[in-house]
Amino acid sequence: MASYDPRVNTNSTTPQNPPPPPPPPESAPSDMTAPTDGAETPNTTTAAGVVAATTTPNNTNDEQTDSWKLKFCTVCASNNNRSMEAHLRLATAPTAFPVISFGTGSLVRLPGPSITQPNVYSFNTTSYNQMYEELEEKDARLYRHNGILNMLDRNRNLKWGPERFQDWIPGQPRLEHISKGDKGAQGTEGGVVDVIITCEERCWDAVVDDLMNKGNQLNRPVHVFNVDIKDNHEEALVGGRAILDLANRLNESAMAQRKTHGSAGWENGSGAARLSFDESVPEILAEWQEKHPNLPALWTLAWL
Amino acid sequence: MAQSPEQVVDQVAQLDAARKLVLGDAALYPQIVNGILPIVGANARLELRRWGAEFLAETFASPILATSQKQQLAPTVLNSIQETLLLPETDNAVLASLIQTCASMYPLIFRHTVNHPGDNKTWEMMSAVKQEILRKMDSFPCSVKICCIKFLQRVVQVQTPGLIADPRRPDQNETSLAVVPRNHALLSLPQLEAESSGLLDRLLDVLQEETCNPLIVNATLNCLAPLIRTRQSIANKIIQSIMDFFPTKHVHPPFTPTVRVGVKSMERTARALLFNVMKKNPGHPLMGKMQHYIERLMQSRLETAEDASRKRGPPAEPTDGLDQTKRARLDAVAPPPLKIPPLPAGPTSYDQLFTLTQDIGLSSFDVKQLPPDIVVKIAIPLLSQVNPALLTQAVDAIRNRYETITKEQNHKRQQLHQAATAAAADDDDDYEPDYEPEDIGDNGPGEAAAIAQEEAELEPDLVSLGPFVLPQPPPLSEEEASEVGRSAVSRVFGMIDAVDAASSSSSTQTKPQQLGFARLAGSTFDREAWVVLLTRLATRAPAGLEIDDKVKAGSAGVKRHSTISDSIRETLYRYILEDFRARLKIGITWLNEEWYNDRVRMKAANQERTDADDEPTVTLYYDTWVLRLLDGFLPYLDSKDIKILVRFLSEIPEVTIAIIQRVAGLARDPERITLTVQALMYLVMFRPPAREMCLNAMEDVYQTYEESRPAAGKVLAKWRPQALPAPAEQASTNDSSNPTQPAPSTEAQAST
Repeated sequence: MASYDPRVNTNSTTPQNPPPPPPPPESAPSDMTAPTDGAETPNTTTAAGVVAATTTPNNTNDEQTDSWKLKFCTVCASNNNRSMEAHLRLATAPTAFPVISFGTGSLVRLPGPSITQPNVYSFNTTSYNQMYEELEEKDARLYRHNGILNMLDRNRNLKWGPERFQDWIPGQPRLEHISKGDKGAQGTEGGVVDVIITCEERCWDAVVDDLMNKGNQLNRPVHVFNVDIKDNHEEALVGGRAILDLANRLNESAMAQRKTHGSAGWENGSGAARLSFDESVPEILAEWQEKHPNLPALWTLAWL
Repeated sequence: MAQSPEQVVDQVAQLDAARKLVLGDAALYPQIVNGILPIVGANARLELRRWGAEFLAETFASPILATSQKQQLAPTVLNSIQETLLLPETDNAVLASLIQTCASMYPLIFRHTVNHPGDNKTWEMMSAVKQEILRKMDSFPCSVKICCIKFLQRVVQVQTPGLIADPRRPDQNETSLAVVPRNHALLSLPQLEAESSGLLDRLLDVLQEETCNPLIVNATLNCLAPLIRTRQSIANKIIQSIMDFFPTKHVHPPFTPTVRVGVKSMERTARALLFNVMKKNPGHPLMGKMQHYIERLMQSRLETAEDASRKRGPPAEPTDGLDQTKRARLDAVAPPPLKIPPLPAGPTSYDQLFTLTQDIGLSSFDVKQLPPDIVVKIAIPLLSQVNPALLTQAVDAIRNRYETITKEQNHKRQQLHQAATAAAADDDDDYEPDYEPEDIGDNGPGEAAAIAQEEAELEPDLVSLGPFVLPQPPPLSEEEASEVGRSAVSRVFGMIDAVDAASSSSSTQTKPQQLGFARLAGSTFDREAWVVLLTRLATRAPAGLEIDDKVKAGSAGVKRHSTISDSIRETLYRYILEDFRARLKIGITWLNEEWYNDRVRMKAANQERTDADDEPTVTLYYDTWVLRLLDGFLPYLDSKDIKILVRFLSEIPEVTIAIIQRVAGLARDPERITLTVQALMYLVMFRPPAREMCLNAMEDVYQTYEESRPAAGKVLAKWRPQALPAPAEQASTNDSSNPTQPAPSTEAQAST
């Protein structure tokens, strides 16, 4: 089976094209008939399609799985430092993962002039840009010096504003995030993810607990990881890189499974038992942990 | 009509566009779902089926599509799912998505059936799909199986009575068994409830399995919360089975990193689930038990300490040297230095030594007046609040005082000594500085009184104790001594067994380390070393002593000492016989030591012999014990034990006639004749000093036991052909040899 892959990859000028730019939602109504029209024509072909599929399943299969990726969600307390650093890493990686990010705190808290005077904002309604402008006006020197403005500047280029995990409705379409140009939004329009990575045990607890509260309505499995990162800029950088490493490992395994099971599964599904992606997660995490011994990790399989 | 890859790519792109549409406007779902079903149905190509299954899962899970609309779509889609499942579908991604869809759809179909008792077709279809999933669940790969678990959970949730929020508006109530009318045509309440109870057991079974898969366990634990929260009737059962679950019990070494990840995740998930239950229901009757379980769970962890050390420590330098808010406050405000009042002049009491406060009222307060329980109540919270820095200061202060006092006292004491020794210069040798008063007591009443007075002044003298001399233990009686000796010996035997057990696993690794001739006895602390130690303890330890004693005190001494070594011998003997096949090597070592010891003692006795009148009397242990050992295991030898017998006979240091007789005696048993002949033959061939002896024995055997003739005859023909009678004589010799037959047996019995 593996011998098919290189051949497909060498002569594939098409695979670069397939993920078509999504149509802007405004033009949607006018296109409304198009897909249904398209649906009629293949309708007649499907009967014969079975035969065809058994003979040449590989070509198109690879093209499709090439564009398929795991969808990620990063979570920290305020959706500002650690989760956003990881968001940046995942969204700007060569593989460019679909990624969304949240905070689990009750409010967005940023360091203020002293430890007892934090700057507090509410989730979902305050944009990073607003925070940036407000703090710049308050004490540009202080906030530039402690890196807050720098961080907010990065964040406002990534997405609109901090979102609270507990307010997230899984499965709620996130088309507007694509239209706003959020980085990493491409692929998350369905409002679901495959992997959630938190940056602190407290957040992991909050996420697992909140998913239980949400009632697992979607019946969709989600891997919830924690990668313990201290809340400062330096550690966020280190942690972000480590999270990208974890994401790459997970994605590789998932893609491999999709490919092998795609073609092999079609011909003989009860073939040699292979470790599926979900099953291999503890192993992947253990390997990753050995490489990053300073970022204690945790995992569970939860439900959206 | 085959589809070209380009066509499929186009189709997927179109489908993606359609999906974007419905995501933007949920009202379009019915149209799109009905439109795509034929394209992505059972017989479509893999990528289309994957797309379709994923889309259907998304559709029926979508929070933006109204339940009523989903209910309308459900029967049609269910039909398509059933077709795909029965194909049978084999792609994991498609299967997982389809089962997710079924899980979302089950309550919808159930509600539809409740409202449409006449539509038995849909319900039958759903039941068929359910049975199909349940049947195949255990054979599905893990990634599909977890979706089946979720489906199970959904079925259980639907088929268990839930809360009726408002009996007047049945449509507003959550879908559960409680909304089914008693007389429903299709849905039989007892049957559904029984089924769900069975499925719940199946769901919870995962927590009881011998070895557990963390993925499956976590998937199960994480979907139980809604059941516990919304289904009162089964909540306690679920909680109970969680509380019986301890991940560490379900894993077995080696604890690879993967296993650790799994165990930790199960622990944390179980904990998270119970926390969730406790938070939702603070007055839960099982609250205390749940808390207890969580504590136990955390205690039973494989790696409690490991994680703490993993977290990055604080950076060596402040991350931002200029930023005051970020600089770590390493040294908090130092407490004000403690005021240490000087000790009052003169002799110090304990009270004064430990009093740091200058408050008269405090220092004169008698704590004994307080009942102990109150003291405890006060002291514990106080201790927890003590400033460590202050405590250190106080302890240091007391220590300083104490050292000063000790110094002073030692100084005084030395002076006292000098005075005393000067006064009691004529005291006897047993002068003991520790017992001054007694020593000095007889030096005249005046001095004694002065000293006594000084002693009284130095009351806290107890603080500085002199060297402590342990009193001599009472002398051991002879029996006690030998008892202790025996117990020591039995512990050495214990060591052999312990090393046995330990080395049996690692024997392959230790083998290359064998030292051969270069080894020293007992240098490696392995089993061998203990064996050597034991045998030498038995043979050599009392060797010199016996002779000394004999010279000094006569035979009584010999007897006393020999009891200890004899008891070791006895124990060794029994130890070897317990498993003589494996332990014969020990026996050989031992007998060699005995033999050597006999030689040494004989030599020593010869040298000792000053007057030529007496023969040196040396008890020869070798002869006794070799026969005992041989007699001990000979009865148990079977015809296949030739190697053991030959090894024993060839490795013991000396073969005697008695030994050979016993070996020959084996021939009485027709089954063991070959054993005898082979053993003797071996000795004839490879032990020249014993050759004659063995040939005699062989001849004897040949004469006595007819069955031995074929084998023994061959040997004799080679080594002593003259012993073989002419063929004609054979019959007569056979008869004449019969009376000699019982002879060896009586001898053997007598010698044991």
